[in-house]
Amino acid sequence: MSWVGLDKLNKLKERFDYVQINESDKGFHSVEVPKENFKDFLKFIKDNKDYQFKMFIDWTIIDHGAKADPRFQGVLILFSPEYKERIIVKTWATEETLPTLTDLWAGAKWAEREAWDMFGIRFEGHENLVRMFMWETYPYHPLRKDFPIQGYEEVELPSLNEEERADQLEGLQNYSRKHTALPTMQDLEITQKKRLPHKKSQIVLNWGPLHPGTHGTIWFLFDMEGEYVQQCDIIIGQLHRGVEKLAENLNVQQIIPYTDRMDYIASMNENHSVCIAAEKLLGIHEKIPPKAKYIRTMLAELSRINSHLLWLGTYALDLGALTMFLYTFREREKIMDIFEGISGARFTINYFRVGGVYADLPYGSLNAIEHFIKDFPTRLSDYETLLTRNRIWLKRNIGVGVITEEEVYSYGLTGAVARASGVPYDLRIIDKYDAYGEVKFDVPVGENGDAYDRYLVRIDEMKQSVRIIQQCIKELRKMSKNDPFFYQPEDKKMKITIDGRGTKLFKGEVYAGADNPRGELGVYIYMPKDGIKPYRFRLRSGAFYNLQIFPKLMIGRPIADAITILSTIDPVVGETDR
Amino acid sequence: MGIKKVGLNRNVEPQTLSEKVFFLDFMKGLKTTIKHLFRKVITVDFPFEVIEPAPRFRGVHGLRNVDGTERDDFDAWVKKLKIKPPEMGETRCIGCKFCQAACPVPEIFVIKTKKLDVPEDHPHHGLKVLDRFDMDLSKCMFCGLCTLACPTICIIHTDIYDLSTYTRRGWVLDKEMLSKIADDFIARRGKEKYDDKSNWPDWQKIWNDNDTARAKAWDNDPPQFGPNYIDQQ
Ligand code: SF4
Ligand code: SF4
Repeated sequence: MSWVGLDKLNKLKERFDYVQINESDKGFHSVEVPKENFKDFLKFIKDNKDYQFKMFIDWTIIDHGAKADPRFQGVLILFSPEYKERIIVKTWATEETLPTLTDLWAGAKWAEREAWDMFGIRFEGHENLVRMFMWETYPYHPLRKDFPIQGYEEVELPSLNEEERADQLEGLQNYSRKHTALPTMQDLEITQKKRLPHKKSQIVLNWGPLHPGTHGTIWFLFDMEGEYVQQCDIIIGQLHRGVEKLAENLNVQQIIPYTDRMDYIASMNENHSVCIAAEKLLGIHEKIPPKAKYIRTMLAELSRINSHLLWLGTYALDLGALTMFLYTFREREKIMDIFEGISGARFTINYFRVGGVYADLPYGSLNAIEHFIKDFPTRLSDYETLLTRNRIWLKRNIGVGVITEEEVYSYGLTGAVARASGVPYDLRIIDKYDAYGEVKFDVPVGENGDAYDRYLVRIDEMKQSVRIIQQCIKELRKMSKNDPFFYQPEDKKMKITIDGRGTKLFKGEVYAGADNPRGELGVYIYMPKDGIKPYRFRLRSGAFYNLQIFPKLMIGRPIADAITILSTIDPVVGETDR
Repeated sequence: MGIKKVGLNRNVEPQTLSEKVFFLDFMKGLKTTIKHLFRKVITVDFPFEVIEPAPRFRGVHGLRNVDGTERDDFDAWVKKLKIKPPEMGETRCIGCKFCQAACPVPEIFVIKTKKLDVPEDHPHHGLKVLDRFDMDLSKCMFCGLCTLACPTICIIHTDIYDLSTYTRRGWVLDKEMLSKIADDFIARRGKEKYDDKSNWPDWQKIWNDNDTARAKAWDNDPPQFGPNYIDQQ
């Protein structure tokens, strides 16, 4: 498992006597460091050649409840590309402040803004600590434990139906005329001003939130000198639904349908992350029946193809190649037919469960998938003939949005964006979850880290996915129809059900995830005691951290490159906003 | 398992001079598009032509009635919950509220049972019947957890997907409406989906293979179905 070993942690403790080790029987050890020594400790493990935890993964907060003192705890997750290990470093946020980590990892900038927005923790030394998702004048910090799940309903918002048709419903099914706080135009103006406090040039161009090129509701601000961007910022949050807050009030199987609505293009993979994290917390991930493992691996890869096809189609469409869009959507249609037949839904799939999958494959599924896989490589080569060596395509992509290896580590970039910059960071080979340890595939990595490399990496990933699916089909064909597809616990204390009722989580903490088409979706679950509802359920979104580098890449580039760069970073707003 | 380098000059040749001069890259692209010009139409002419949803499709809910295909433990469940044993054609619902407990949005359901008002010597004295079963589908996300929780395979998903109504009231379905939807669905497609053991008989097909509309979306070359596993018929 890709986790730092106890021997290394003990060595750290010998060196720094303030380090406290929290051992975990599942192997997810964490260390606790006092706030005063936090930065020094981090500098040491980042640079020392025995540790080299230089890749930023996540930086978030746990609220221990209004009665606890100190109440908030910072949780930092780092990865060491050298030793392929993760570590969790915690510290207490006394007086609701923490030192900023933006000077160590650039990726901490948005993480800290999110922590301020959701928990009200101030980060000393942060360059512009404004809210991440909510508008600037919003008065609450919603992920605090004392904030009610339904929010404070204080704005009068009668619906037209109720006004005009007197369409009143009774009891619980009634609609309240009161609504939680809503931003006014004024609030948005204040928000916009705060995001770009110092205007550098003449014009600030607003792009989005409702623009087809932004692929969702993202609001970009470009401070422009002629055609060139001097400064850029992004306002997201229009799709923020508080999945983390919702998850704290549900059992783990019930959380899975909510993750469908995050990265709605690859919902299979989002489900996968939650399943893996919960299974690792329960310590049953290795014991999942092989049939379920292979089904999950196969469908996750099919979903990756689906997602990359949407990316390719819209990316080419944005750069002016309309035909590609039609071709890739034809292929997606087939994949979604397969998903519909297997799981019952085309988009919001909810097929994976903690412990396996909810039903066996229906008759003919493997034939349908084989049929698709047989045909797909020729389609892929059609796409490549249209694009890969087309001179317009080359001109618009080569050398645009170059990301260096150092930036990958410092911003915590994952997925194809990291791999195109030459960093072979792929959870499928690092963690070898599900059946990824047993199938053969290559990880494509680029050299230059520009838009063109990101394009080539994703194209090659689709080819690798085809390989993986072929191997999974071969394995599944050897199995019996009576083989189990869901884990039956041997331990009396453990209860896992397909419908979720009574599914329990164990005390402990875990960070695990899956390599999604848009980067690593990591799930951090913290449980102070056994229980049904997760106490803290953190979703580390790959798209969110990948998007963070966009303003940097845009500086000095003409506005037309915004489309190329955004498309190759490929965020999906459901996941950035959660 | 390895690492594969991609990039211009790695797995992609840069453009040659002749390609540049004679616009061969555009020619090749045009060849591909022209090839597609002579293919058959793959789009479905909705609403004149409709793809039939798959048997497992998670559409509008229905409440099944007793039709003789209940599972063996059905009577035991009825007894356990002190429900009046249902006759043929009466609802299977035993008011256990498992569906509500499994649902991530429990406000969707209003489930109530009532005691039968019969004299003491009547065999049904002290037993209950289902009184109310309302579902507010505007809040539903069609995740299917409720149908998995139901011990009697009463609440099911049907293949109906168009739920638009003019008022919010129209999304609230009561038990008569839900029963009607389920009856209609079982009559139309019950044989494709259920046997008397479970929701997931192993002959349940991924989709109906003689659906011509779906075949169109598969380039008029739909897959031929066969068994998945080694010992499947
Ligand atoms: S489908 Fe899901 S959301 Fe809808 S009623 Fe059933 S459990 Fe609830
Ligand atoms: S779970 Fe089934 S039987 Fe129980 S109340 Fe719901 S629909 Fe009725």
